[in-house]
Amino acid sequence: MEREANLNYVIIGNGVAGIHAAETLRQLDPNGTITMISDEVFPPYCRPMISMVLEGAVPPEKLPIRSSSFYEEFKIEPVLGNRVSAVDVDNRAVSVNGKVYPYDKLLIATGADPRRIKAEGLELKNIFFMRTETHVRQILATLPTVRKALVLGGGLVGFKASYGLLRRGIQVTMLIRSGYPLSMQVDSEAGRMVWDELKAHGLDVRIGVEATAFEGKDSVTKAHLSDGTLLPCDMVVIGKGVFPARGLVPKEKIKVDAGIVVDEHMETSAPGVFAAGDVAESIDIARKSPWVNAIWPEAVAQGRIAGMNMAGRRTAYKGSLSRNVIRIFGMDVMTAGLITPPEAEGFDILKVADSRAKTYRKMVFKGDRLVGMVMVNAIEQGGVLMSLIQSETPIRAPREALLKPCFNFKQLMQM
Amino acid sequence: MKEVVVHPERCVGCMQCMAACASAHSRSKNLFLASLETPRPRARVHVGVGLYNEGFPNRCRHCDPAPCLLACLPGAISRNAEKNTVFIDPNRCINCASCAMACPFGVIRYHEDFTAPPGKTVAVKCDNCYERQLAGLIPACVEVCKSGALSFEEKADAMKRKTDEVARTVSAGVAQVDLAPGFTLLNAIKRQQIELAR
Ligand SMILES: Cc1cc2nc3c(=O)[nH]c(=O)nc-3n(C[C@H](O)[C@H](O)[C@H](O)COP(=O)(O)OP(=O)(O)OC[C@H]3O[C@@H](n4cnc5c(N)ncnc54)[C@H](O)[C@@H]3O)c2cc1C
Ligand code: SF4
Repeated sequence: MEREANLNYVIIGNGVAGIHAAETLRQLDPNGTITMISDEVFPPYCRPMISMVLEGAVPPEKLPIRSSSFYEEFKIEPVLGNRVSAVDVDNRAVSVNGKVYPYDKLLIATGADPRRIKAEGLELKNIFFMRTETHVRQILATLPTVRKALVLGGGLVGFKASYGLLRRGIQVTMLIRSGYPLSMQVDSEAGRMVWDELKAHGLDVRIGVEATAFEGKDSVTKAHLSDGTLLPCDMVVIGKGVFPARGLVPKEKIKVDAGIVVDEHMETSAPGVFAAGDVAESIDIARKSPWVNAIWPEAVAQGRIAGMNMAGRRTAYKGSLSRNVIRIFGMDVMTAGLITPPEAEGFDILKVADSRAKTYRKMVFKGDRLVGMVMVNAIEQGGVLMSLIQSETPIRAPREALLKPCFNFKQLMQM
Repeated sequence: MKEVVVHPERCVGCMQCMAACASAHSRSKNLFLASLETPRPRARVHVGVGLYNEGFPNRCRHCDPAPCLLACLPGAISRNAEKNTVFIDPNRCINCASCAMACPFGVIRYHEDFTAPPGKTVAVKCDNCYERQLAGLIPACVEVCKSGALSFEEKADAMKRKTDEVARTVSAGVAQVDLAPGFTLLNAIKRQQIELAR
């Protein structure tokens, strides 16, 4: 079937969700016009890898995941270096830097921004976020003068920043508001194991403390903590989580909750407007409720699904699922789904810990389905469990088998 | 295109495929010398046990689309369409284990390998013995398997054989080896027709 006119696709954000959507669109619609607007000018890159650049494990030139000719190759018009401030849903247009880009189909793939904190003295130099390639370049530039760093937040980013700085030979103090590190990702047992591992490698972790003010002449030299301590430091990294970058969305036209709410076709409440990646809120498979799962594999999957639907191929998305794998020194931690379920709601929890082998496994079941898991070390079979959660497969094998070190795919097969 | 087909019900758990695989993925390609190499070559096929302790050769299915390929952060995983093989580039891999979370079969391992930069742990899995295939050899695990649990054949042939095996359990005469040549050409339906006509 011949289309009457070429469609105008506009994608905001050149993160991984945006590029997968663009590639999928181009594959399905060779003639449509694709415009990609983003404030980052660096070629599409691997955001999680910035922490490895900080650590020194990977050189910055290895960050890009697409070649410099990506935009030409896929016939995409890049509009880089400026942030879109608003989407005009009524006139179906996006304006940036004084220029108006009309759209037939729009994808908002703006990802997430680092969560800001309230404290005095935040305007001082050497106080950083860690979300973009630029941030890490800034951090790296100051490293030669830094001896003591303070990292705020025990989440994934705070944690990766601490790890990277530690590996650079810098003394790091990490402040965590919750009871243990990675509290959004792991349960308390695994959290303790992570904490022990961090302490064993020289990280100073302080629990239940926050920074209230920063002092210094030009750049930061001291931090006041909520417990009254005055801590000398010459660098601060704020890793207090992220929130969806949905400021450009008119709330009265497009439904937003924590993120931009999308249906199973990644379409928002405004027809023709789609959202994908860290900015989108979809149904969480394990929780069975709307949730923002701001992780790389979901950004890829959602970008692809959005691209298909924008090109007119109706494809449903099953829902998102939180999952993470973290390698800390000699320790591997993998988590997926619901790991600390609300009590008294009919969840069964199975756990096994082996202190000698330094392993720990926890499975959360609801009825005959697996809905969550935590593994510390021996994570190779984690993907099998992950896919059981994702596909909501009824588990017929004895549940204890899943906890055993020799667990493998065959044990789930019916013969 | 020929592919490795696993017949788990025939596996006796002897693990010879593992030894052959490790040796095929060594610097020397020789079992005895391989055992002396550093880093020690390791197998990419993993013989595990089922619930009743039966053997189970587990290897990469080279899925399409491959979940590991989509999950890989730095784009280290790619697909070779011509050999229907999913490859991991040890130079690009950052050992993040995102692929471990994505693989529904649990076939990816993390260790040093002679193809990777020295001292670097990388994700490692079956490559369908790509190099051996280029040299006209069949994958090492298949070559060494004595029980017929691994075969290298056209997928369609393997399917046909499986279908026949299942059919034989309900209808005795299906695809048995016949005495007169050419007789095998008659498939189950034709035979049934003959039988019915009688
Ligand atoms: C240090 C770090 C480590 C991480 N590690 C992992 C990990 O190990 N595993 C994992 O699964 N995930 C990890 N993540 C999360 C992962 O990076 C994100 O889930 C993923 O990058 C989201 O992709 P996205 O395309 O949705 O958004 P982004 O990558 O955030 O891309 C959005 C783009 O849109 C641009 N933009 C935003 N607003 C506007 C606007 N108004 N106008 C124009 N442009 C705009 C942004 O500048 C950005 O370039 C990590 C993140 C960080 C920061
Ligand atoms: S471990 Fe290597 S191959 Fe696996 S997802 Fe990470 S970078 Fe890709």
